[in-house]
Amino acid sequence: MTVEILFSEIAGLYGDAQNAKYLELCLPDAEFIYTDICSEPYFVNNTPDIIYIGTMSEETQRRVIEKFRPFKDRINELIDGGTVIFATGNAPEIFCEKIDYITEKKEITGLCVFPLTVKNDLFKRYNGKVLGTSGDIKVVGFRSQFSFIYGDNSSYAFLQMQRGVGINKESKFEGMRKNNLFCTSCLGPFLPLNPLFTEYLISLTGTSAEAAFREEAMDAYKKRLSEFEDPKVKF
Amino acid sequence: MKKLRFFIALFMAKLATFLLKMLGRNATYMPGEVALKISKDFLGHLKLPETVICVTGTNGKTTVSNLLTSILTKNGYDVTNNSFGSNVQAGIAAVLLQDSDIFGRAKKKIAVLEVDERSSLLIHPYIKPDYLIVNNIMRDSVKRNAHTDFISYIITSALTEKTKLILNGDDLITSSLAPQCKNRMYFGLDAEKPEVSDKPFLRDIVYCPDCGAPLESEYLRYNHIGRMYCTACEKKSPDRDYLVTAIDRENSFFTVDFKGESHTFTLINDNIVNVYNSCAVVAMLTILGLSPEQIEKGFSQSKIVKSRFDTMSAGKLKITFQMSKGQNPIACTRCFNYVASIPKENKLLIVSTDDISDNTNESENVCWLYDCDYSIFSDESIAKIIFTGPRCRDHLLRALIAGVNKEKIVLCEDTDKAVSLIDPEKYTDIYVLYDLYRQEDAAKMRVQFKKLGEGTK
Ligand SMILES: [Zn+2]
Repeated sequence: MTVEILFSEIAGLYGDAQNAKYLELCLPDAEFIYTDICSEPYFVNNTPDIIYIGTMSEETQRRVIEKFRPFKDRINELIDGGTVIFATGNAPEIFCEKIDYITEKKEITGLCVFPLTVKNDLFKRYNGKVLGTSGDIKVVGFRSQFSFIYGDNSSYAFLQMQRGVGINKESKFEGMRKNNLFCTSCLGPFLPLNPLFTEYLISLTGTSAEAAFREEAMDAYKKRLSEFEDPKVKF
Repeated sequence: MKKLRFFIALFMAKLATFLLKMLGRNATYMPGEVALKISKDFLGHLKLPETVICVTGTNGKTTVSNLLTSILTKNGYDVTNNSFGSNVQAGIAAVLLQDSDIFGRAKKKIAVLEVDERSSLLIHPYIKPDYLIVNNIMRDSVKRNAHTDFISYIITSALTEKTKLILNGDDLITSSLAPQCKNRMYFGLDAEKPEVSDKPFLRDIVYCPDCGAPLESEYLRYNHIGRMYCTACEKKSPDRDYLVTAIDRENSFFTVDFKGESHTFTLINDNIVNVYNSCAVVAMLTILGLSPEQIEKGFSQSKIVKSRFDTMSAGKLKITFQMSKGQNPIACTRCFNYVASIPKENKLLIVSTDDISDNTNESENVCWLYDCDYSIFSDESIAKIIFTGPRCRDHLLRALIAGVNKEKIVLCEDTDKAVSLIDPEKYTDIYVLYDLYRQEDAAKMRVQFKKLGEGTK
């Protein structure tokens, strides 16, 4: 099995980089390829089993989009072919049609995988929590962001929300999914926080593996779940 | 009309200040809030002191502004400053109006203002500082500070070319701020250069801000603080106009070279972040025209902080308390490192860094734990770690992912019970890392340690 971690030196803010470390511990026999922003992605000429990209600054986001643009067809080919691609924080925005950076007065075309648009406002930071379901798996997460995504993702959302907002404050649907491309605005250690989802994500490659430190991860997950489900806990 | 609103705001705020003072209450924020509610551009109408110095950045702004104020005061200057108040817009408005007459004209000639870096865009359009000191820009709270590109962007956008910058030359993020400001001075450290740089756990700058190519480092002291150069263009850490060339920890002195001469000053706190702070102070005061003797007079009359730690003994037990700012991964990692580096064996650590208010009818965001370097806990000198508080399971998982041996770790959700888990015959060297908002827990532990230690006499 091959796992490609994209640009973790700059697209791993807020603890996102540790999702890769957690995958390494879950998949001790897999080969991990860490591609930096100055190198050509491994996926251009190869088909990794899992690709991961995490949270980045706005400036980095623009750089990543330009990096990906020449490989737009290849990225679509990977998505159509069922490669597991996981994007957290603001990495999902790259797959939208357009990002409007309101404060910086810039606008940029994305990879147009999803017919959605993004508005980024550096004067409005949103902090929140996520409690939702992906299939029959309950998912917990944290969000801290300057941007929201707009459009109708109801038919291809990653999460049906139980508590917390969706792609924007009016939406009840969080993130996007197309085949095995999973996009979520949750950031930080999403995989360690969600051992059941981690196992599911890995299973989509055709391999089964137990989440690393399963017992301890499940303990922490159950505790958080009980808190997030408690109506006294603010969202 | 605007002017009228300003005078109403000024009057109401002065009244609020007067009433608060009558009641013996703090007037360092609320009057500013009142003023800004009535007149949004209140700060723009105030007649400011002749010289306005602002201090901003991630760490050390309070230390620098307090030192500047105290040394200036000791040399006979009358200074407006917000060291007892708040560093956001309302706090700055409150302190400026307190030191102004009924027409809003400054009564003092000089102001030293600590400015919250995120508030720059709300403050600097109105207060265009003559000087801005920036210590460093690094990762801080996920929720509030986002990332360093954001902080750089807001500081840079807030400034006009009028402001003269005094910047940390060993921080490439800071030294690259606001290129429109041509009048720039840099301070930094040459003393105690690390021979080899360990690869830091976190680095907030990896690529050249000018051309995007990879940066190489000559050496790094911590995180991205050190000397860097671009592998593709001319960009590099700038030459420093004020350079610390020697640190004498034994006798608490540091030497700064500037204008072709070396000068020695009293070092009031020898941790490296503070040496940077002190050098920034020397630079600023020299630029204002103070002589090295005047500056030293201020430093030498300040209290020397010998230890960053607060220690107590109880029987055979030696307990060290270290405040460790929760939600701030860099500050916490530095605390972890410091404890690990103390040349002792068989240490026991109690980690109480959860933010209690974030866990009361709340569930604290734990992302920051994953930006902290927990692998430090694998250090051989650390024999046992007790993770306390509502997020203890998260600390455990984080530590396991970082490769810490599970045998070393004990969980204790109820912080009050942590001390009772310690075998005083087995562990005598104890370290408590506690969050800023958990001083009460720390105080309770002190009492418990006293009891625990009694049996060991
Ligand atoms: Zn360059």
